[in-house]
Amino acid sequence: MTQSSFNRRGFLKGAAAAAAVVPLASSLASCAAGGGSSSDSSSAPSAGAKSADNPFGINESGKLDAVIFNGGYGISYAQFAAAQMKKKWPKLTVSVKPSNNISQELQPRFVAGNPPDVIDNSGANSIGVSSILSQLDTFDDLMSAKNYEGKTISDTLYPGVKEMGTRGDKFAIFNYVMSGYAVWYSDSLFQANGWTAPKTWDEAYQLGAKAKAKGKYLFCWGKEAATYYRTLILGTAYKQGGDEVRLAIENLKPKAWSQPVIQQALTALKKIIDAGFVKPGGAGTQFTAAQAQWSNDQAALLYPSGSWIENEMKSQTKAGFKMTGAPEFVLDDSPVMGYEAMNAAPGEPFICPKQGVNAGAGKEFMRAMLSEAAAKNFAEKILSPTVVKDTVPADGFGSTALVSLTKMLNAAGEKVFNIQWVDYYGVNTEHLVVWNDFLAGKSSVAQMTDAMQKISDKVANDSSVEKITIK
Amino acid sequence: MSAAIPPSTAAGVALEDTPVRATAVPRRRRHRPWTFDKVSFFVVFLGLPLAVYLIFVVSPFIQAFYYSLTNWGGFSATFDFVGLFNYTKILTDDLFTRAMINNVVLVILVPVVTIVLSLILAILLTVGGSSYGQTRGLGHSGFYRIVSFFPYCVPAVVIGLMWGQIFDPSHGLVNGLLTKAGISSANEFAWLGEKSTAMPISIFIMVWAYIGFYMLLFVAGIKSIPAEIFEAARIDGAGRFRTAISITVPLIRDNVQTAWIYLGIASLDAFVYMSVLNPFGGPDNSTLVMSQQLFSTAFQKGQYGVACAMGVVIALMTMIFAGIVGLVNRLTGGKDTVTLA
Repeated sequence: MTQSSFNRRGFLKGAAAAAAVVPLASSLASCAAGGGSSSDSSSAPSAGAKSADNPFGINESGKLDAVIFNGGYGISYAQFAAAQMKKKWPKLTVSVKPSNNISQELQPRFVAGNPPDVIDNSGANSIGVSSILSQLDTFDDLMSAKNYEGKTISDTLYPGVKEMGTRGDKFAIFNYVMSGYAVWYSDSLFQANGWTAPKTWDEAYQLGAKAKAKGKYLFCWGKEAATYYRTLILGTAYKQGGDEVRLAIENLKPKAWSQPVIQQALTALKKIIDAGFVKPGGAGTQFTAAQAQWSNDQAALLYPSGSWIENEMKSQTKAGFKMTGAPEFVLDDSPVMGYEAMNAAPGEPFICPKQGVNAGAGKEFMRAMLSEAAAKNFAEKILSPTVVKDTVPADGFGSTALVSLTKMLNAAGEKVFNIQWVDYYGVNTEHLVVWNDFLAGKSSVAQMTDAMQKISDKVANDSSVEKITIK
Repeated sequence: MSAAIPPSTAAGVALEDTPVRATAVPRRRRHRPWTFDKVSFFVVFLGLPLAVYLIFVVSPFIQAFYYSLTNWGGFSATFDFVGLFNYTKILTDDLFTRAMINNVVLVILVPVVTIVLSLILAILLTVGGSSYGQTRGLGHSGFYRIVSFFPYCVPAVVIGLMWGQIFDPSHGLVNGLLTKAGISSANEFAWLGEKSTAMPISIFIMVWAYIGFYMLLFVAGIKSIPAEIFEAARIDGAGRFRTAISITVPLIRDNVQTAWIYLGIASLDAFVYMSVLNPFGGPDNSTLVMSQQLFSTAFQKGQYGVACAMGVVIALMTMIFAGIVGLVNRLTGGKDTVTLA
């Protein structure tokens, strides 16, 4: 082999070229996944016969393949349910695997056509349901099946599970953990000052003035969670205006954000912002730090959030805080849906792909999860209710937040609603920018309306985004 | 999305080059038979890196370009071809164009500021010391070197979180000091939440993180310059500044160019810093960068075809940037300058 002298300048050039190629590769590699492999769309392997006892016709000696998001709840509750299932079907092989990156981990399996039987599609890297909707099984037969105690499952659940899991006409998502949006406050602080939780935006404004007299703010916010205030405004508007208002927003109708009820709610919030009742600087504050300003410093009185707030702030809550929730504000005393109506938002979305390994085993697993034993186990271990009713004792395992959530859910009864479009179309990130500006007092109600409408119109006019009709 | 060079890439490029040169040399001997020794050498040292390069670098590249012409959602085996629709879509999308502009701002400012500051530090630490006796840096330069390199040892995510806390409006160090100093407008001022300050502060944090490493790179470059040159310049009466401009910088020109390209690539990415400091794009999207848009399009909206088109655009911009840097270097006389090697 002939030797060639290695030219340094040539090498540097090569290195420069390589340097240019690398980000190219890395930025492209990040979205190159899967192959163009054609999966056979034949249905899953031979199933057992359907019966009352085996409502989904699972293959008794087959396998259950469950992938569970390993987040705040862990996976032991799912293993508990799988053990219940194993008790019922001793010949079944159960596999419950944890995952922290549902989307990235399972994407190749979806593309190859062999996804798991059931997935807890949760966490920051969950799969956007819109992209897999056609591959998912429906849960209608689960609702009409009997649970392991012999009761029809739909009778044992809080209302709204089906509505909130339905995308278009398809009941494809089964949310397992019950939670709800509310305005949270410290009951001990309110009692010490003789304050009551406001029911309307006017009362909130008056409370803001009282707070200011004490050197406190009414609200505070953090940059990544500014959209909790969007949820609050929509809660007000949906309760006040009913389905008409809700469906216009949810279905991305033109001028939906100009509806009078939405405008009144935004104006009411703007009045509070302009009066200086909102702690400034939220746009530069990390959201848990902002929440600690409410739960630990008590610099602000109220914080609109979901019922997970107690757990989230556990280590940063002042002793004796007595975290309590109140329903989201309305505009006057005659809201269409009623003041008690609630944005009940069941979480931990479970999905069952149609092409799972053992047809029906995913739903059988959900049936086990909805058994009294598994639901009670969850409530006790995680201190959070499931969608199964009556699993939380009167003392709420010592948690005031849990007790008030249960109370609010019971008071709301059938009057529950949900905000679906934000997650379905993935627009929360764009909303954050707009809401940070609004809360910081940088934009007017008109600018805010335009900005929100623009984001909604953009999705509505994008022919490449598949729309659903929210009912 | 990191900008580190995997060894295989550099090796792949270098090795691709070598055989071409080898054949260009006129042969003096007859072709020797293929021995096992020779074949195995080729396979291990040429075939393997080349294969790794083709499989892990070139093929994803082509695949991503292919997906960018489709409406692939990421979770199915089927998709339709949509031609250049994804490209027209992102180039007319106000958010993506906004992100492109922000990236261009970064790519102009971050390398200039970082290189100027780290060059100054490097010169101070190597040749900026006493003018008597041997050429040397400032006293205790070893200590300064460690201190300024330190930020580079901290992961970018941690840097972002740390500075996020330092600039916290209510409990942050910056506002605490400013209000103590009597500047009342700093009270509750959201440095990362104001449109006018979010981008400058983000750039400051990136520069802070990069300076130490590039300083070290330049220190190494300057150390390879023979001390006699500095001594000769000093005898001729050149001051420190004159020496730095006329001797030091021209002699480490290659290092500066390499640093410029690396920093440019880092600013065209900027994903980690921006998504930690302002995960959603910052006030009025003033800190939104293309890689953040790519991430949310792919993983939140499930539009992998569009996301791949964004990736291709980022890649093209990176190549154009590297080309411009090379061109500027050539036009400013980079080819004629003497390099010591």
